[in-house]
Amino acid sequence: MAPARLGQAPPETGRAPARSRRRASLLADYGPLGALVLLCLTFSVLSPQFATWGNLRNVLDSAAVLAVITVGLTFVLMLGAIDLSIEGVMATAALSVALLIANTRNDIDLGFLAIVAAVALGACFGLATGLLSTGLKIPSFMTTLGMSAIGIGIATVLFAGVQPSVTSPAMGEWASGQWFGLTRLTFVAIGVVIVGLLVQHYTRLGRYARAIGGAEDLALLSGIRVRRYKTIAFTFAGAVYGLAGVMVTIQLGSGIVQAGVGQNFAAITAAVVGGTLLSGGRGGVLHSIVGVLIVTVLVNGLVLIGVSPYVQGAVQGVIVVAAVAITAWPLRQRLRVVK
Amino acid sequence: MTVQIEQEPPQTLMSIEWRITVNSMMRSRRGMALATAAGSLLILSGCSAGTEGTETDVTSDAGSTETPDSSAGGTCAPEEIQLIGQVRNETNPYEKAWLDGGDAFAESVGLTQTRLTYDGESPKQQEQLRQTLSTGNPECMVLNVLPNGDSDTAPIVAEVDAAGAYLVTHWNKPADLNPWDGHDTWISHITFDGVDAGAQIADAIFEEMGGEGGIIALQGILDTSAAKDRFIGLENSLEANPGITLLDQQAADFDRTSAFNITKTLITKHGDEIKGVWAANDDMALGALQALEAAGMSDVAVAGIDAVPEAVQAVADGTMTATVSVDGPWQGGIGLAMGYCVLTGGLDMADVTQEQRAFFARQTLISAENAEENLTPTANLADFECGNLFDRVTGPVS
Repeated sequence: MAPARLGQAPPETGRAPARSRRRASLLADYGPLGALVLLCLTFSVLSPQFATWGNLRNVLDSAAVLAVITVGLTFVLMLGAIDLSIEGVMATAALSVALLIANTRNDIDLGFLAIVAAVALGACFGLATGLLSTGLKIPSFMTTLGMSAIGIGIATVLFAGVQPSVTSPAMGEWASGQWFGLTRLTFVAIGVVIVGLLVQHYTRLGRYARAIGGAEDLALLSGIRVRRYKTIAFTFAGAVYGLAGVMVTIQLGSGIVQAGVGQNFAAITAAVVGGTLLSGGRGGVLHSIVGVLIVTVLVNGLVLIGVSPYVQGAVQGVIVVAAVAITAWPLRQRLRVVK
Repeated sequence: MTVQIEQEPPQTLMSIEWRITVNSMMRSRRGMALATAAGSLLILSGCSAGTEGTETDVTSDAGSTETPDSSAGGTCAPEEIQLIGQVRNETNPYEKAWLDGGDAFAESVGLTQTRLTYDGESPKQQEQLRQTLSTGNPECMVLNVLPNGDSDTAPIVAEVDAAGAYLVTHWNKPADLNPWDGHDTWISHITFDGVDAGAQIADAIFEEMGGEGGIIALQGILDTSAAKDRFIGLENSLEANPGITLLDQQAADFDRTSAFNITKTLITKHGDEIKGVWAANDDMALGALQALEAAGMSDVAVAGIDAVPEAVQAVADGTMTATVSVDGPWQGGIGLAMGYCVLTGGLDMADVTQEQRAFFARQTLISAENAEENLTPTANLADFECGNLFDRVTGPVS
């Protein structure tokens, strides 16, 4: 097959490039982790409160929601697609779970089923995105943007001017209750990360996602049902965003339309900083989680060392760009396509 | 998209919303015709209701029984008047309550309000207004508008000047653009003193803390005048209360989730030293409250601004100390009422003083004492009578 040969370096070029390529790949894989460690060391030196058990808990708890979102997003990014529907899906999930569980607006109380319903609703959004993207061949940028708008629209209708506050005591328990010093939601996030890892390593979805992202046309030619796996990836991501919406609702104690505001770009940033490429085919759940931790530690550390709020945004931006530049350095081959 | 935000910002960041509302219906001609038909039906029903004496409000009787000729200066028949309320969106209680206040006034005079929302997008706001002004008789139109940012007010005023419709704006306008500078139909600009609001809630938490201890401050989006003014108010109060220390101040962008996470970090940093939380709006106060609860800190005084229903409930429950109400339903009704009174002759533009044409309106501190009665903000129709329109003026916009 001609295309395969085109991509490979001829064997006579020797071992050196192969070794450097391996080194490059190693750096790309472990560079973000290095950046995270470096960031933690720097903050520990600058702030006595940073390296405390209390703050570690705080960082993990704060990272929980973003971690869940990013796990879902990672599969979409690995495919080489993009997902901008997070805010909308989270808004609808947040409002629907708040309205279906014991709340201040109506008498419905489905208990745990409400959460299942919200996650299923998220999955429906993902499924719709997937079918539109693959069936009608609309770029995922547009379909997911549209889905986000639809989600916010539905949430606005559900909101109807009065925020539903969750009154279920069991949910309050989940918001503040702790296991081993961490909030329960953090364990939910860890659970989602484990599920994500299992899906990535042991299912066709995970393996094909990377193959499709690497070269969709080749994957298609070799008989992979690209459309099906793309749709499944979007559906999985949608379900995960739904869960994230539920988590925010539990944390805040009420369903708000703004549940996911800012999370979309935070998640994309985290995934990319962690080494998941926007062009697809590279990265994974663990990469993205490292990215999530980098983003969270950065926000936390800058507050702790007392950087003025007026310059925090700029400082964050500089560090993120520097981190990405360092990680991407070994990948800047001359022929690599960056979109 | 650059958006200047004065109030309730998170929702302004949403870029697109697809809604099936009257707005989109209004775009098509047929929709317009239907809406007009529906509108006139409503007017008819409103009038008949008025004659049957079921309506309690005085203005409605005046409006539906008096003909314009009988009063001095009336230029439009009451049923010809179109009332339009425009805000960013309905995803937050404040702006929803605003439009509901407009509806309450419109109903009281036997009319309906056209509810417009522009999703915090400046171009969309201009486009909506242009379209509205071109579909009807602008000279009998009253627009009660929340401009997206300071810079949006000038083009709005220019459009309205050209069309001859009556306009009342809220919150945002450039300092050098004033209704009295030759804008005959721009009746008034209404805003609220952020410095005063920031100081009021600061004083409330300082009092609760017994005049000493440490507080943290959660600021809004730093480049908005609302965030700046409210923080100046806090700084002024801090000066007057030497026993209080500001431990930390962070920007949480008027956003509940940000405030939740930042407060958690600040609790790690300052621990039990935190005795009070000053937040530039209620969403952030509620986020902070949730973080304090998760940390088991229940004796911290928390206050915000805006009086969203959840915060008022928290004040009533004693979990929050105070909030400040600018009264959304009043804002929604008052602008329409001003225009209605001018058009029906109840208010002569010549009698409106310069101070009344750009003023700070009264805002109320909601604390444990008056929280119960403010749980469901509703418009008080007496405020909209032509003689009471300027009762809430506290001073000129400086």
